[in-house]
Amino acid sequence: MFQRSNRMCARSSNRVNHDRRWEVIRKHNRRAAKAAFAIALGVAIVLGGAAAAPAALEKQQATPIIVGTKNFPEQYVLGQLYKQALEAKGFRVQYKENIGSTELIDASLRSGRVTLYPEYTGIMLSVTFKRKTLPKSARGTYLAAKAAYERRGQTLLKATPFQDRDGIAVLRTTATRYGLKTVGDLRKVPELTLAAFPEFETRWLPQLASRYGVRNVEFTALAGISAYTLLSQGKVEAAGIFTTDPQLISTKYVVLKEPRNMFGFQQVAPVLSRKLVSEYGTRLTSTLNRVNSLLTLRAMIAMNKAVALDKKPAAAVARAFLKANKLS
Amino acid sequence: MIAAALDVFVDSFQFIVDERELILEKTWEHIVLSGVALVVSIAIAVPLGVVLGHLHRGSFLAVNIANVGRALPTLVVIAVGFTFLGIGFTTVMLALVVLAVPPILTNAYVAVDEVDRDAVEAARGMGMTPFQVLRRVELPLALPLLFAGIRTAAVFVVATATIAAIAGGSGLGEILVNQAAYKVEGLVGAAICVSLLALAADAGLGLVQRWLTPAGLKQDVPAFEPDVRPVV
Amino acid sequence: MAAEPVIPDFGEASDCVSENRLFCPDWVRDNWDPVLQPALVEHIKLTAIAVGVGFVLSLGAALLAHRLRYVERPVAIVSAVIYTIPSLALFQLLVPVTGLTVTTVEVALIGYTLLILFRNFLAGLRSTPPEVLEAARGMGLTQNQTLWRVELPLALPAIVAGLRVAVVSTIALATVAAFVVSEGLGGPILGALRLDFRTEIIAAGALAVGLAIVADGLLVLAQRAVTPWASARRVT
Repeated sequence: MFQRSNRMCARSSNRVNHDRRWEVIRKHNRRAAKAAFAIALGVAIVLGGAAAAPAALEKQQATPIIVGTKNFPEQYVLGQLYKQALEAKGFRVQYKENIGSTELIDASLRSGRVTLYPEYTGIMLSVTFKRKTLPKSARGTYLAAKAAYERRGQTLLKATPFQDRDGIAVLRTTATRYGLKTVGDLRKVPELTLAAFPEFETRWLPQLASRYGVRNVEFTALAGISAYTLLSQGKVEAAGIFTTDPQLISTKYVVLKEPRNMFGFQQVAPVLSRKLVSEYGTRLTSTLNRVNSLLTLRAMIAMNKAVALDKKPAAAVARAFLKANKLS
Repeated sequence: MIAAALDVFVDSFQFIVDERELILEKTWEHIVLSGVALVVSIAIAVPLGVVLGHLHRGSFLAVNIANVGRALPTLVVIAVGFTFLGIGFTTVMLALVVLAVPPILTNAYVAVDEVDRDAVEAARGMGMTPFQVLRRVELPLALPLLFAGIRTAAVFVVATATIAAIAGGSGLGEILVNQAAYKVEGLVGAAICVSLLALAADAGLGLVQRWLTPAGLKQDVPAFEPDVRPVV
Repeated sequence: MAAEPVIPDFGEASDCVSENRLFCPDWVRDNWDPVLQPALVEHIKLTAIAVGVGFVLSLGAALLAHRLRYVERPVAIVSAVIYTIPSLALFQLLVPVTGLTVTTVEVALIGYTLLILFRNFLAGLRSTPPEVLEAARGMGLTQNQTLWRVELPLALPAIVAGLRVAVVSTIALATVAAFVVSEGLGGPILGALRLDFRTEIIAAGALAVGLAIVADGLLVLAQRAVTPWASARRVT
């Protein structure tokens, strides 16, 4: 009898202990869960605050001047020229370099992440506004682009004298070998290999075939290596280049003539939100116009050479140019 | 924001379907490139690591080389290879092997080095030659951990091959570094494919690892867990 | 329209640069301020934010998993899946959601630290020998007191070891950020690849590797300082 009662006592005390332990565990579970929740909430609040704060600040001020650039040296120079010229006039300028291709930077412009950037008039029509046929003059191209932008809430300031058009270059030795003078002469090259930025394939190869009869081109898209490197290393026979490339100063390369103006007209004009014009007025627009008017082909190639070939920082090159022309 | 993102993801699946030939071609190239690099790395690192582990020599080097490998950014190795060798297959292969050897080497070393000394002594006591000890005792016991290193390296090689496209590598990386040509949908589509490839490689090799593990240790092989042992 | 502009002399490139030699100290000196130093600072910032936030999240998750067993598996699986996804792919998968911004980069980098830190933290928390736990219980410490006074200090070696791996990995991964947004040491490297410019590649690359080595060294010192009794042991 004693044993049975002992056993029952033991069982009941076990149950009490068990219940207490369960209570303890549940209490600590709750506490642990609360702690974890608090940590997570705290982190979320901090991160959310950090993300929201700049947006909140922005709403109170005027439209910020955010200069953006695409991802090649000429754009860095142009971006720095605009940025420093505006800063010299007392504007506060944010700078977002190296955004990427036309599509990306236009998306940034539309979303307000960028409010000003230098663009090529032909590209404006063919890429941003997806026009199939381009005007037959530089002025016509500029005006058509300006009208298209103004329908969207942006506008263009004055265009540069220089143009940076697409082109096709070959080694001088290649030109001599096949007797190449114009783009159409490329028909003479059997199994032509051509390297260029990816857009070249969709933008120009079809027209190359239809207007000049150059077909069956083996195309290599450039991802990180320059076309001139590939040309020099003999990896391709022709390269899609740009007429302000400083490498073209050398006599090693020949740019093939393009009599039908297939490559269009490509002056540079600042694309900017109309709010910038209305809020900052002529002090902003006249500064940028003055900078642009100084950009002749010789000037642009010289600056491109300094940055791309002599590896000077774009900011320093822009500063020297502005200083020499009394703009900073 | 989320709605726009969903749009892009739908477009990217459309891209995968529309361009399935391109995707299949690039995926195959990626597998081949990764496979070759992995085989080369195994051929270099496993014998070296196993021998060093067997001799219990060179521990500082073998153990810390994984740390050194982790500190080498992929992009830097590829770019430095480019400065010396230009673009092309050699550069890419060199970069992949340089990055894949450290984890395999360290795991091979540690795997053999840490084999139960008692088992080794028992084998030695039974009269086996050192080579027989290596072949019949140390290697089988070391195989799981050794293979874990190969599994880590395999996933790493798939990731590295993606970036190596910037220096002429082939595979899905070619799409991923070419925003201008393939737009956001293409990039997201390729990103999905290469992610699935990496996850499949890890899971697949995990199954092999489980198969190689003696029955008593099977629960130590995780389904989805890359080996990131910190080495002090 | 306008007068001819004055085109200043921008300075000739040194022989070293024009011949594209492997390393030109003069270029590094001239470009330290405008190019290299800002990139280095950005890189450090990217890493610090990623590891900092990853640390908080992983510690919280590890503490939770230490109490509630069922938390461990989901967190481990999710973090392992993220870790297995190649970095460039993860960046591009996030771009539609968070755009071409630093946020995308940070979210991905944080994701990559989770696996390392969570696993190490949890292993560290669990490494307390049962006798020590019983002794603490015997001394009358509550569970929370045990956590703060016993388990966490004993977990420090694992925590610092995990931080070490996470910091070094994040520094390496942050170079890939340049594919999304032009921040960090990956920017000069990508630009120099396009221009085929050796010095910039070597300089920025050396900075990235050097940063990782310095950070690793500092954390090793921290590890030794925090755990003088464990300097000879290997933590797994």
